[in-house]
Amino acid sequence: MSTLGTTLRSELVGAGGVVERNYYLTKRYIWWDLAWFIWTVANTLTIVFIAKGIEAQGGTLDVNRVATSLLIGAVVWAYLGVLFEFLMETVAWERWEGTIEYTFMAPLSRSMHLAGMGVFSVLYGLLRAIFLFTVCIWFFDLSVPDAQFMAALVVLAIASISFLGIGMMTSVLPLISPEKGTQLGWIAQGTLLVVSGVYYPVDVLPTWMQWLAKISPATYALEAARAAILDGQGLSTMWDEIWPLLIIGVVSIPLGLWIFARGERYAKKHGKLKRSG
Amino acid sequence: MTGAAVHVAELEKVFDVPEREGGLRAAAKGLVRRRTREVRAVDGVSFGIEPGEIVGFLGPNGAGKTTTLKMLSGLLYPTGGEARVLGHVPSKREKAFLRRITLVMGNRNQLQWDLPALDSFELNRAIYRIPREAFVPTRDELIELLEVGDLVRKPVRQLSLGERMKVEIVGSLLHQPQVLFLDEPTIGLDVTMQKRIRSFVAEYNRRHGATVLLTSHYMADVQALCKRVIVIHHGSILFDGPLAGLADQFAAWKTIGVALENGQIDLGRYGEVLHRDGDWVTLRVPKAETSLVAARLLAEQSVLDLTIEEPPIEDVIELVFAQERAP
Repeated sequence: MSTLGTTLRSELVGAGGVVERNYYLTKRYIWWDLAWFIWTVANTLTIVFIAKGIEAQGGTLDVNRVATSLLIGAVVWAYLGVLFEFLMETVAWERWEGTIEYTFMAPLSRSMHLAGMGVFSVLYGLLRAIFLFTVCIWFFDLSVPDAQFMAALVVLAIASISFLGIGMMTSVLPLISPEKGTQLGWIAQGTLLVVSGVYYPVDVLPTWMQWLAKISPATYALEAARAAILDGQGLSTMWDEIWPLLIIGVVSIPLGLWIFARGERYAKKHGKLKRSG
Repeated sequence: MTGAAVHVAELEKVFDVPEREGGLRAAAKGLVRRRTREVRAVDGVSFGIEPGEIVGFLGPNGAGKTTTLKMLSGLLYPTGGEARVLGHVPSKREKAFLRRITLVMGNRNQLQWDLPALDSFELNRAIYRIPREAFVPTRDELIELLEVGDLVRKPVRQLSLGERMKVEIVGSLLHQPQVLFLDEPTIGLDVTMQKRIRSFVAEYNRRHGATVLLTSHYMADVQALCKRVIVIHHGSILFDGPLAGLADQFAAWKTIGVALENGQIDLGRYGEVLHRDGDWVTLRVPKAETSLVAARLLAEQSVLDLTIEEPPIEDVIELVFAQERAP
């Protein structure tokens, strides 16, 4: 047991090192991060203005509710983007920096390497999502009197397990295709955007797309986040959203690791672990 | 060979490289039918390196040196043959193995460009599980030996090539590896910096008894550090033995340098005149006749000074490759 404990501790120290490095890098570019955050705010405001636009054109809707619903979609989408970006960069960014060979030669298990990237992306993404939500709520003077923010955050954290699993699957793409892998990774992100009801209810989708919505963790995360913020529901009433998230998470993490391991094997067999080619 | 630090037997690496003719037609054809060519980057290489030995791994660009080093570091899976480093199979990526080796590539970096090297050293400490009480003295010792105390606090991108290489070496040795694969560690560096890195490698080898496999296009590196060299070309080993033996085996001549009272005398009858600089003449003579020619020169000419030397190692290496190319 003590050997297991020592090994686990040792592995966690390695993952902690990856988190620490990402913290240093983020700190180094904090002003550029701020610029990027302003872009995200502008993007989110554009989406939320749609609710105002419909009202201005004579549409009848609860502007506060629709605007908040769109805002939740935009914030969750931005959060998902951060997670995917960090995991995709596990390979793409290291390749760009020219450090990829050293990273893959380091005595750190791939699961801990990816866990380190994942944990940092969750922490950074959550912090960013909170700021984004706060700025937009303030901008539109939206009212969410019953909001259960903690419940929404917990659901987002649970959903992150599944998001990380899917992110791991897509992060292998730059490993096997140095030229186009990163762009291909956006396919998964784009597919989740279409089928998960980010800006509209999944009911409006064609039936076959609704089936895809059922296996997308973002669908459940968005439903639960909206229920918590718009309707003031607590975690106890969200079991219908939480259990699918847990199941998808339990499946997607090992599947993501397995796919990454296969990709790494392919890359080492075909000499893809280098800066170019 | 069981006690060898590095043991390689019939190691092979074959790549399928896509290729096509230039032009639109060939590009369109390539969409339907992709043509590949088999490239045997490493073709049945065998050698062993004893613990503490420094071996030069020489060859022209594309000879298979880096591919071999990458297979020995576990970054590439061999197509065939066997490789063992400190008793481990590199491709298995065992942590006990990875913690005992390092690979330094002169044209790559392991340090994050945007961070001071000290931050990247911290990452290595975590990844290589170096206890802080061991990490700090090792780091400080390496910083002192390589004289980079004022460089490790700057972002790496602000360092010159030579400075970067020195801090890269510090980062690579923090975990005190027992086997060092050095791939062109002095590439692009000025003479002073090359010398500094050479003496550092020698010192590290002496202090830690580390095994070193060094590739370099600078023969000064090889002459200063390696008693033994392995010459590889087109993926196959052409020579494996003492550096001095390379000239014995491949160069059938020596050079005689002679300073004469009258440097204008024609010395063509003693051997091939390679160079004339004032009164100093350099002759190339068949190895077996060296002592005879020297004796004749001393007896027949007014000689002020005379030296007999092996041919420059660069010339010998060139000769090795030329002989390999010959049908």
